[in-house]
Amino acid sequence: MSIITQSIANADREARYLSHGELNALRSFFEEGNQRLRIASILTANADRIVDKGSDIFWQRCPVTPSNSGNSTFRASCVRDQGWYIRLITYAVVVGDIDPLQDSGIKGAKAMYTALEIPLRNVVECMRCLKEAALDLLTQEDKAEVGAYFDYLIQGMTP
Amino acid sequence: MTDRTNGGSPVTHPQHFHTVPSTVITEAERRDRYPKQSEFKELSAFFTSGLKRLEIATVLANNADVIVAAGANRIFTGGSPMAYLEKPEDPVGMPGSGYYVGEDFLSAKARQKGGPSNALQEPRLVEPVNAFLDRIRTLFSSGRPSTPTRFRTIDIRKYGTVRMKRSMRDLAWFLRYITYAVVAGDTSIIRINVRGLRGVIPEDVTLATVVALQDMQWRAGLCFSQDPAAAALVKGYFEVLITEYLVEKPNHQLRFGVSKLHPGLPLPQSYAQSALPTPKLVVKPGLSETETQDAIRAAYRQVFERDITHAYGLALEDLESKLRSGQFSMKEFIRHLGKSRLYRREFYEPFTISRVIELASRHFLGRGLSCLEEFQTYFEVISEGGLPALVDALVNSQEYADYFGEETVPYLRGLGLEAQECRNWGPQLDLFKYSASTRKLPQFITTFARAQKPLPNQHPYGVGHDPLEIQFGAIFPREDQNPVAQPAHFSATSRRILISSGLHNGHHVLGQNGTVPLGRVPGTFGQSVLKLEPSHQPQGHQAQGPNLNVNHHSIEAVILATYRQVFGRDVFDSQRQGIAETKLKGGQITLREFVRQLARSRPFRQMAWENLYITKSIEYIHRRLLGRPTLGRDELNRYYDLAGKQGFYAVVDAMVDGPEYTEVFGDDTVPYERYLTPRGYALRSPQGPVAWWKPRKNPDIAGAWMANYATVTEAKRLALATTEASHSMESTNNNSPAARAESRLNVAIASPPEPAPMPSEAPQAQPLETSTTEDSLP
Repeated sequence: MSIITQSIANADREARYLSHGELNALRSFFEEGNQRLRIASILTANADRIVDKGSDIFWQRCPVTPSNSGNSTFRASCVRDQGWYIRLITYAVVVGDIDPLQDSGIKGAKAMYTALEIPLRNVVECMRCLKEAALDLLTQEDKAEVGAYFDYLIQGMTP
Repeated sequence: MTDRTNGGSPVTHPQHFHTVPSTVITEAERRDRYPKQSEFKELSAFFTSGLKRLEIATVLANNADVIVAAGANRIFTGGSPMAYLEKPEDPVGMPGSGYYVGEDFLSAKARQKGGPSNALQEPRLVEPVNAFLDRIRTLFSSGRPSTPTRFRTIDIRKYGTVRMKRSMRDLAWFLRYITYAVVAGDTSIIRINVRGLRGVIPEDVTLATVVALQDMQWRAGLCFSQDPAAAALVKGYFEVLITEYLVEKPNHQLRFGVSKLHPGLPLPQSYAQSALPTPKLVVKPGLSETETQDAIRAAYRQVFERDITHAYGLALEDLESKLRSGQFSMKEFIRHLGKSRLYRREFYEPFTISRVIELASRHFLGRGLSCLEEFQTYFEVISEGGLPALVDALVNSQEYADYFGEETVPYLRGLGLEAQECRNWGPQLDLFKYSASTRKLPQFITTFARAQKPLPNQHPYGVGHDPLEIQFGAIFPREDQNPVAQPAHFSATSRRILISSGLHNGHHVLGQNGTVPLGRVPGTFGQSVLKLEPSHQPQGHQAQGPNLNVNHHSIEAVILATYRQVFGRDVFDSQRQGIAETKLKGGQITLREFVRQLARSRPFRQMAWENLYITKSIEYIHRRLLGRPTLGRDELNRYYDLAGKQGFYAVVDAMVDGPEYTEVFGDDTVPYERYLTPRGYALRSPQGPVAWWKPRKNPDIAGAWMANYATVTEAKRLALATTEASHSMESTNNNSPAARAESRLNVAIASPPEPAPMPSEAPQAQPLETSTTEDSLP
């Protein structure tokens, strides 16, 4: 639930207009909107590069993993999932909320990877590599914004 | 078989309305792509205009009274309509107000005062002079909307206070929703909440409301006289509001049932509206290449749950080309996808048949399985003809034709699109998740399998971990995996199995062979039954029943016992109800009335009502006043109804005045515990919650306590054997009960405070057990 939905829902529940506090929160949300959009478009434009770079670092650090075992399907799935997570991060940056990550990225993902017999440690390591690759492209200020979502993801996937 | 099991309740986040970002993101996510350039521009415009819209919302909120007054003054005559506009009640204590259970009123109020909320709601000071001036000003301003000819003003005095208050509340409500929509940048919140409202009020009032709304629109526009863009924006929102208000009440959306036993479900349109619009992709001959490509990808996502081109680097090219050339309809394409080698490899070979059916129903019908009969039908199909037969059966079904026809790509019929069935709620929502294909176990069919198990310890409204039997109805999951999706297999008609205490009308009822019934655990029902006799003197009358003891039978004892029963403990002096006690002593009220007064007292309300959630509260009060746990949903539902409509005192009165209370306790008996749940029984029996035969056969699970106990009983048994022997030497052939009791006394002195004896098959333990019954009586 984004901050807009959240504050309207709260106000509606108490049958009142939006309060000063909520208005201020919304104001800063709108003010930072274009910055977030800029970050999102950088990530969108460089998604493939981030994934390439991220998986390179990942396979260097973590050579024994299903996706590095020579099986092309495993390799393709690993790359697909990395792209998928970058996309979710983009969504989260756009709405300024962890909701997209939470709903599609974390809930059930642990169970899924466990069922597929992929060690969760490696998944987390992979996320860290992705984070490094993505943050390399951004300015200091933007790093803080995006890094938080990666950290949330890593936290959620940690076994 | 009609199965009423439901499938648990995983948490869902229903969408109430949309905003620009949520729409964009959901759309992108549904299609597995990044937001497009055009969407980025849309979002950018939304963020840039955000500050402006916040300003507009603030201005509207600050002028709320003036705007509402403009509308109200136009349609009401003969008084001041604004006097009827009530501020919202103090939100503290209202459901969902942020006041949470367990917090007392004072600190909640303090929190509310300290908090930033209500900051915009300055006290309503409509100064009479200003209000009058405003009225004059508005009367002579230009651009005021003209009224329709059929419109007549409403006289406040004839209209009545109640309806007047409602009308004013609604006018304020409309304006409030306008401000929300302005902030959200989307009209959907208005559309969802206002559409079809005219259906609920009489036609003449509808006309008046529209006139009032038009005046509010005009007056709101005056607030932005310096800013034509803002005025136009507000005007636009009001126009949407009025148009939506005038729409006829839309029909319910129907979901068709799959069998006669399970008829369809209606869903109000507003719910469907609030879900994001699902694009229904249709493949027709004249489509452009990109549109066809979109539809094909959507079909892959529906049938394989993944974009297979992306995921596996493959595409079923011959099928695609047949679809493109028009040789296949979409329906045929879907059918062939289902019969492809890939589908077999991904969704047939790794799974058990039951799971295959569940997944196939998601892929081809866009929903989870609905009922057991349906499952059985498809199970038969797949057993006889294999996967191809199942795919044919699903694609050829009437339901597929109704929903998707020849051309539409199947889609998930989830929350918001359609009414969802309660019964398979959990399995269905889980089935829609991305991770569904990694779950190997069938979920729907096991839901029903669980329902066949007995339910001795379960609360009617809660599955879960409640080892101490104090969290009635709360869901504290014990299972580590997927806890909330477990079914509560308790239907409206199931009843809990309760263990009788063996006390009936103050008498112990003996079972077969004169044994004491199961519930008679030492220490569990050791209390005696107290009655209030007409004269409270210990002398001069014979106590009735074996449990009545004259020494414990004075009026003071009765009063104390009543406190103990109602509160579960001895109360503090300050909590005693002096007036009620005096009245009872003076014979002015019956004992039943006394119980009622205790239950209605402030301390009891505080303890059993204010801090507890409703299910626990009802269960608790019920156990206290009627002496037994609730039996099932039927009973609880009636109390919910009472509690919801009339509150705490009505619940107490219903129990004390009910036929059960009258029959069992009458006017003069102190309520006592009549029934226990099996778990409660196990908890309070001296063996603890472990079944007594288990540790004996399997000492590993018993632990240190049992080891200790075993040595003690051994020593006791030895002691008993020696005393028996000595007694038998002293008084040979004297097998009288007195002698046995005496020997028992010796044993008690020999080994005083050990845990109570465990029933055992050793013959010398037999007198122990029967004598306990007599000894423990006061």
